[in-house]
Amino acid sequence: MSTESNKKRKPKVIRSDGAPPEGKRNRSEIDLASEIEERRIQSCVHFMTLKKLNRLAHIRLKKGRDQTHEAKQKVDAYHLQLQNLLYEVMHLQKEITKCLEFKSKHEEIELVSMEEFYREAPPEISKCEITMGDPHQQTLARLDWELEQRKRLAEKYKECLASKEKILKEIEVKKEYLSSLQPRLSSIMQASLPVQEYLFMPFDQAHKQYETARHLPPPLYVLFVQASAYGQACDKKLSVAIEGNVEEAKALYKPPEDSQDDESDSDAEEEQTTKRRRPTLGVQLDDKRKEMLKRHPLSVMLDLRCKDDSMLHLTFYYLMNLNIMTVKARVSTATEIVTPVSAGYVDLLSPDMILSCLYPGDHGKKTPNPANQYQFDKVGILTLSDYVLELGHPYLWVQKLGGLHFPKEQPQHTVTADNSLSASHMETTMKLLRTRLQARLALTKQFASLEHGIVPVSSECQRLFPAKIVSRLVKWVAIAYEDYMELPYTRDIVEAGLAEDTHLYYLALIERGTAKLQAAVVLNPGYSSIPPIFRLCLNWKGEKTSSNDDNIRAMESEVSVCYRELYGPRPGYQLLTNQLQRLCVVLDVYLETESHDTSVEGPKEFPQEKMCLRLVRGPSRMKPFKYNHPQGFFSHR
Amino acid sequence: MTIFSQSVSPCGKFLAAGNNYGQIAIFSLSAALSSEAKEESKKPLVTFVAHDGPVYSLVSTDRHLLSAGDGEVKAWLWGEIIKKGCKEVWSRHPPYRSSLEVPEINALLLNPKENSLLLAGGDCQLHTMDLETGSFTLRGHTDYIHCLALRERSPEVLSGGEDGTVRLWDLRTGEEVQTIEVYRHEECARPQNGKWIGCLATDSDWMVCGGGPALTLWHLRSATPTTVFPLRAPQKHVTFYQDLILSAGQGPCVNQWQLSGELKAQVPGSSPSLLSLSLNQQPAAPECKVLTAAGNSCRVDVFTNLGYRAFSLSFS
Repeated sequence: MSTESNKKRKPKVIRSDGAPPEGKRNRSEIDLASEIEERRIQSCVHFMTLKKLNRLAHIRLKKGRDQTHEAKQKVDAYHLQLQNLLYEVMHLQKEITKCLEFKSKHEEIELVSMEEFYREAPPEISKCEITMGDPHQQTLARLDWELEQRKRLAEKYKECLASKEKILKEIEVKKEYLSSLQPRLSSIMQASLPVQEYLFMPFDQAHKQYETARHLPPPLYVLFVQASAYGQACDKKLSVAIEGNVEEAKALYKPPEDSQDDESDSDAEEEQTTKRRRPTLGVQLDDKRKEMLKRHPLSVMLDLRCKDDSMLHLTFYYLMNLNIMTVKARVSTATEIVTPVSAGYVDLLSPDMILSCLYPGDHGKKTPNPANQYQFDKVGILTLSDYVLELGHPYLWVQKLGGLHFPKEQPQHTVTADNSLSASHMETTMKLLRTRLQARLALTKQFASLEHGIVPVSSECQRLFPAKIVSRLVKWVAIAYEDYMELPYTRDIVEAGLAEDTHLYYLALIERGTAKLQAAVVLNPGYSSIPPIFRLCLNWKGEKTSSNDDNIRAMESEVSVCYRELYGPRPGYQLLTNQLQRLCVVLDVYLETESHDTSVEGPKEFPQEKMCLRLVRGPSRMKPFKYNHPQGFFSHR
Repeated sequence: MTIFSQSVSPCGKFLAAGNNYGQIAIFSLSAALSSEAKEESKKPLVTFVAHDGPVYSLVSTDRHLLSAGDGEVKAWLWGEIIKKGCKEVWSRHPPYRSSLEVPEINALLLNPKENSLLLAGGDCQLHTMDLETGSFTLRGHTDYIHCLALRERSPEVLSGGEDGTVRLWDLRTGEEVQTIEVYRHEECARPQNGKWIGCLATDSDWMVCGGGPALTLWHLRSATPTTVFPLRAPQKHVTFYQDLILSAGQGPCVNQWQLSGELKAQVPGSSPSLLSLSLNQQPAAPECKVLTAAGNSCRVDVFTNLGYRAFSLSFS
């Protein structure tokens, strides 16, 4: 390097050497040459020092550079280390946070509480000494215990499943066995039918009835149940049966899917029908009415047999849309009934009349369900009474037997059939029906006899009357309610509310000599528990009624008010005939005890034949109308 | 129902009425006449059964109500009855001849001077009963006695009966003083109705009687009929009032007659025929001064003014 530098410098030196020698060659070419030689040596020395300095500078530079390089390297290494560490720190921090955030699944498991755990876990798991102090261990121990328990439970579960399977299998086997039994049993039942008939135990029939009973609407069902229960328990002469079309009843309760199909069909049909002529409004209304008054296809029939073999057949229907029950009645007797033939005779045994007013005021012409009125208004039905002939009468007791209770004031939204209501009414109603039938039969017989002017008095009742009675019954006719109201002497009865259009009215005429006694009789449908009421008008020496003659009033009270003695043997159906007989007797007494009018010539028209203690008594001068048996005289009450 | 008798309480505020079922009902006249009278005021305060048979006659002393019916007389305290205590104080029956039939007592008469009660009825005899005890008999009628009347000035009692006679009895001697056979007199006899005397009233010199024969005013001393009242229906009750004669009987009206025989007014009531009239003239209750009439129904008509019927009290 130094040689190179020397070489590089030499050209320079040569050049420089070249310039000076031209000017001053002679002076001292030798001084000059020495100076040049010195200067050349000095320049060479300078060049050498320069080179040395340069060299030193370079070396110094290099050293410096190396030093800095080293230091830099160190620093870099440290820097790198620092970076590494920082990186590691960060990494660790992340790990830490991850660890800290780690939610072990074990926290989601509900462990048993501390106390329980210490109580229940076996000591090898709980390790109280360690775990008490160390929560980590504690949790571990608890987890252990949890695991134990779960394992045990899983085993139990498996066992249970296994046993369940076993049992199911057993059930299957038994079911099969039973189903194989069914055909065998029915064959036995078939075989037992003749035995049943032979022994009079119609279980099969009853079973069939219960089957059909399942299709009955609720009120009819209640009635059926109560009536059969009552019949079995108390009343052997009551028989219950179900009539009607079971298929139709089943059809009423079709499931909805079928009806949806029907709807789509009917939609198609409707489109067709609109093209045809629409039926008239009247026909539509008629159809609506028919729809409203539709009866359930099943009906319950009750047969009441009485002692003399006469029977009352009651058929109960249920009107579905109106939610009421109706009844139709029919009477059948063992012997032929002799019916009276007079004009205007009201047949007491007709289906229309026989059950009227079984309970007071229950005339069966109006529907008992107040909600029906609104329904009727929609289709233009005025009252139900127009339709009772074909539908039957909706009496209140019928509703009660079916467990339907209608409140009187406001319409109720739903009226459901109630068993307890029916049960309490069953007995009274059956008894009332029987007495009603018997009373009506008795009355019909009596009327037949009365028409011929004979008052039939049975032998037990003869003692109520004296042996000789001269007044005779001449006429007995039925009159209408309006005619009764027209009679002048019946006004008090009408005003007292004892004469209504559901009652029966009759006119009797009793005669003796010139005296004619007209009696207007009100017969309550509830005969004979409610006695008939008599109003009298005597035509003899003027017209005398209770308003102008106290004795006529006394006669009326003797017959109408003092009726308890006239009942006769139980059950007292002879009340009417006894009353008529007593009327003849008191007329006799009246006529015979009339004081003789001395101003008129001639003997008394009616000589006194009755034995009386005193002819008049009291400030109102009453006649003796009371007959005393067996002494046979008349006295005052 | 027939109401046979009425009687006013000594305080004048209550009315007792007896009917043919043996019940006595007490009405409060002051309540019924007051301005706030409601329907309930027209019903009885209390009703109780007094006798087995009809209560034919009622009379009031100053403390007791005496009721008579089939053969016995019972006494009740007014004070107790008003408070609804219905127990009789005493009950007596006069001695009867026959026991086959118990005779009724048709008329009771109070003789305040001697504190005795006169009874007459079905056994055709007059009995006097001292209001403490004791009784003696005055005989004479041949048929049962309907009514009695007391003649104030001379202590005599008149009785009218079914046999058609009016007899006067002297209370001191117990003898019959005079007999008037009403039916024999042409003016008043009405044979078609009978001869029975249903009602009597006397004003010492005068007497009114009626029944079968027509209602007639008699002069007692001469025993002659002076005025015959022209009414066809037999009368069951008659009384003097101020200068009028009030009578009631068959037919629903209360008739008012003047002494000359003219009909002053005929006031209709609510019953078809009337059997008793009662005038409330008790001085203690001037506001209850009314005429009440009862008969063949369960109603007692109250007349505040003799001209018209104000309202009716009802038994049931």
